[in-house]
Amino acid sequence: MKNLLNKEFRLVINPLFFLTTLFGALVLIPQWVFLVAPTYLLYIAVPNIIITAKAQKDIEFTALLPVRKSDAVSARVLAIALLQVVQIFVIAIFAMLNIVLYHTSNYLIDPNVAYIGCVFAMYGIFNLVFFPMLYKTAYKVAVPLIVAMIFTVAFAAGIEFLVVGVPVAAFILDGISRDALIGQIPVLVCGIAVFILLTWISIRKSIERYGKVDL
Amino acid sequence: MELLRIDNLRKRYSSFELKDVSFSLEAGYIMGFIGPNGAGKTTTLKCMLGLVKPDGGKVQMFGHDFFQNELAYKQLIGVHFGGVDFYTKTQIKTITDVVSRFYENWDNTVYKSYVQRFNLDENKRPSELSGGMKIKYSLALALSHHAKLLILDEPTSGLDPVARNDLLTLFQETIESGEVSILFSTHITSDLENCADFITYIENGRIIASCEKDELIASYRLVKGTSAQLPDVKTRLISEKTHAFGFTGLIQTNDLIDGDTVTAEAPCLDDIMIFHAKKEKRHEESA
Repeated sequence: MKNLLNKEFRLVINPLFFLTTLFGALVLIPQWVFLVAPTYLLYIAVPNIIITAKAQKDIEFTALLPVRKSDAVSARVLAIALLQVVQIFVIAIFAMLNIVLYHTSNYLIDPNVAYIGCVFAMYGIFNLVFFPMLYKTAYKVAVPLIVAMIFTVAFAAGIEFLVVGVPVAAFILDGISRDALIGQIPVLVCGIAVFILLTWISIRKSIERYGKVDL
Repeated sequence: MELLRIDNLRKRYSSFELKDVSFSLEAGYIMGFIGPNGAGKTTTLKCMLGLVKPDGGKVQMFGHDFFQNELAYKQLIGVHFGGVDFYTKTQIKTITDVVSRFYENWDNTVYKSYVQRFNLDENKRPSELSGGMKIKYSLALALSHHAKLLILDEPTSGLDPVARNDLLTLFQETIESGEVSILFSTHITSDLENCADFITYIENGRIIASCEKDELIASYRLVKGTSAQLPDVKTRLISEKTHAFGFTGLIQTNDLIDGDTVTAEAPCLDDIMIFHAKKEKRHEESA
């Protein structure tokens, strides 16, 4: 797996794609829809990585290496999940800056600890929808991306609706006071757990589907 | 020792079927896997390696089921499928560095010797290499981890005669130890005339013959005769070509009888392929 990840980051995922994580700086925009910031990685970097791999005939190349077909899938999903974690880390830095600089509450969800948990969960949902659909063919990106976009946007819209329209949920998810931030830690933990669980299910389902693909 | 054994490998597509493909290869030999374009050579190789999921059949490498311990056996084989058309804008030294980490027995000294022998510039990118150089680079990768079995798909197509000859010499050097075998598919049968010990011939997804090259050639005769002589042998011919002066056809040596007046001579591998292909075409047209 180590060698496959080395291959992913040296041959497939151009360092340029790490620059897209700087979209996390958008969290500095005052009074904004902060759940939009993490989607740039999903809608720009991820499909481009898959398309680049397809153009470079990475599937054929990997198939000839002494690896299992299933390991090639795990490595690709894990490499992108790693990129997602880097993105969340960058977002977290700018979210902290937002709170320190403006110290103002947002109409929609604040860039707080619960927000970071929600981003983890959103990435988990994306992985669960996108990769198993992609690995039905291993090269057709458009439909899996559109469906995954619908699910992630619906999730983000749902969170924003809860924050604006459901006081109990807003109490759990919103707020930038010290007490509120500490109280949101369970949301972060749940978000991370959802991300890990959904990504793991995504890998299992993708492996199952890719096993039936003739190269 | 048997390095490779394929038993009843099957794969069905909507327009093509691999039908019970079986053959085996002992250590220390070169086997040519021949057949016309679309006969099923690459599909067979892909099924063998699990790139295409076979519908049935067994693949044994080094005496064991290949799919039971795919990772271990993949360390012992070198595979080449066409030229290097992947990562065309990445320096080949970077590609090599990535590939070499996957092999426990990667030998950089051997790799460097091939780089020198093939005049490869490691700072170049695959897009800057000619077709022949891409094949040479791909072969350098396949040959540098002390593989015991080399599975090469069309390794000589696209190479000039000098490079082809160099490569065939290299193949013979590789098997000299008696521990390594090479299975290589090709439709350039002249490559096999000098270097192959065994031939497996596939036609329309079905193995026509898998035996020693000399045995295969001896089992057929190329017969030539006049138009008047054709009716006497026509039913026994695999197929034939008629021309202004008579006919040329292929016949199983066993089907020749003492009273035959036609001229019979040893065919080349091309003749065997061409007349079998003609027979298949005739069957398809009549079906």
